Amino acid sequence: MLTAFEEAIALLASGDEMLTNIVLVTLRMSIASSLIALAIGMPLGTALAMGRSKIASALVIVNRTLMGVPPVVCGLLCYLMFCGVGPLRWLQLLYTVEGMVVAQVLLITPIVAGNMESYVRGLVDDVRETARGIGLSRVRTALLLLGECRYQVFTVYLIAFGRAIAEVGAVSMVGGAIAYKTNVMTTAIMMYTNRGDFTLGIALGIILLLMFLTLNVVVSIVQRNVAR
Amino acid sequence: MKKIRIGIVALLAAFVMALSLTACSSQSTETATEETPAPAAEEATETAPAEEQATNLTILYEEDDSLINTYSLLAVNPDAPFVDADGNEVADVAINSEGAAAFIDWMLSDEGLELIADYGMEDFGESLFTVNDDAPHYEGEIPQATDETKAIRLSTTTSVNDSGLLDYLLPYFQDEYGYEVEVYSAGTGKAIANAESGNADAILVHSKSQEEEFVAAGFAYTLPDFDSERLSFMHNYFVLCGPADDPAGVADAATALDAFAQIADGKYPFVSRGDASGTHTKEISLWPEDLGITTEADSVADYTDWYTYSNAGMGACLAMANETNAYILSDKATFLTFEANGGIVE
Repeated sequence: MLTAFEEAIALLASGDEMLTNIVLVTLRMSIASSLIALAIGMPLGTALAMGRSKIASALVIVNRTLMGVPPVVCGLLCYLMFCGVGPLRWLQLLYTVEGMVVAQVLLITPIVAGNMESYVRGLVDDVRETARGIGLSRVRTALLLLGECRYQVFTVYLIAFGRAIAEVGAVSMVGGAIAYKTNVMTTAIMMYTNRGDFTLGIALGIILLLMFLTLNVVVSIVQRNVAR
Repeated sequence: MKKIRIGIVALLAAFVMALSLTACSSQSTETATEETPAPAAEEATETAPAEEQATNLTILYEEDDSLINTYSLLAVNPDAPFVDADGNEVADVAINSEGAAAFIDWMLSDEGLELIADYGMEDFGESLFTVNDDAPHYEGEIPQATDETKAIRLSTTTSVNDSGLLDYLLPYFQDEYGYEVEVYSAGTGKAIANAESGNADAILVHSKSQEEEFVAAGFAYTLPDFDSERLSFMHNYFVLCGPADDPAGVADAATALDAFAQIADGKYPFVSRGDASGTHTKEISLWPEDLGITTEADSVADYTDWYTYSNAGMGACLAMANETNAYILSDKATFLTFEANGGIVE
């Protein structure tokens, strides 16, 4: 209740070393994975929307299916790949932030691509006609399309970041919730709940929401200014 | 102007979100209060402070020899027969044997054992763990960390981690010798499986049968200065907890086995970890044999009216037992931590 609020504020004010570390790891992981997912998903989504072949429509369905992959399944796959006896063990990614980013990118990229695809789809016919009229190449047409939906790109980024910061199933399997190394807000909330410290869990939840709120305010202001 | 307006709208939205969170948490406390079977429940809700009703769960039975909970350290064998998910042999698994040896040596040195024996006095007025009389002891030198041996991956059980023992011990070791111990904590079954997948250099667990299987399969090895793979060095006691009014009367039972028989006879609600953890393996050894309860879920299919096979961590199970007025077996350290934290949202 209100104690949780007080505790959240007290925690933030105290500059607790453990909390600072958890917040920094959370930000590092969420920002890296959402930006990489955006960089891959944006062109992918645009390409999917521009495609007119049967293969392209099949790929759209595949991508939409991937949007529904349960995070634990993705986490388990990454765990099996990266663990000490897994085929990709030489990458040494298990229980590292980089490993968590890989799992997150796998999860988020289809969501970015799927959202971009449906935004671009609505514009593609008109823009293509114009582009053909002035003799633009395919790549230039794609860039024109991206420019047309730059407002939506910000929204898609927020969706990606929200997914990354809120996710627990995959990051707990790949990251292992190791203190001072891979423990993020969500896994820390799980840990404190298991210790019976629900108040601290809620306090961390409030801090998590405040972080996302700050980012939302910044991105929304940029969005209004860049893409009117 | 526009920017300011957006900011205000966003702040309002956050306020609404935060309010709904608060509403949720206060609701859960209310539910907990309602379920307390006190005769004057209604009066109590209005007058008594929340803490007094926070944990109805108390320790009813403890200190029985059959409830002893022994913890062991094992070093992971770098030449263990590791296999991948398809059962193919894997030869080049990276194990930091030197780091693991340094950590185990330190834990079993005078300094380590003294710190362990002392842990809990400050916060709980009693030691949470007791060093075994016959604990293996290390008197040699401990090497400083090098770049290759610095990161030690320790796979351990939730009771060791959640009770705060490692948070308390590790800084001494890390500051003195320069190592970094990365702690992965899960139930003993999962902690051991994690080591068998080549993700740990040492394990600290508490399930004799599972440890012996681990040794027999060749995953552990004997360190130079010791004479066994399995280094049992400290213990505490499991405690049987339940509702304070103790409907099954286990507090007066002659032995822990009798106490469990009484719960089963009267079909009083019982919450089991159900996750192949050390606590779970101990619990199944305490039921009357003719019930045939094992770690497998189907062995308790006939008892679902009173036996909850939860597959959750100790804290989650304690919360569940507290909410449903059930009996539960817990390690004492986790129970005390849970109780100290209140187990509720304040």
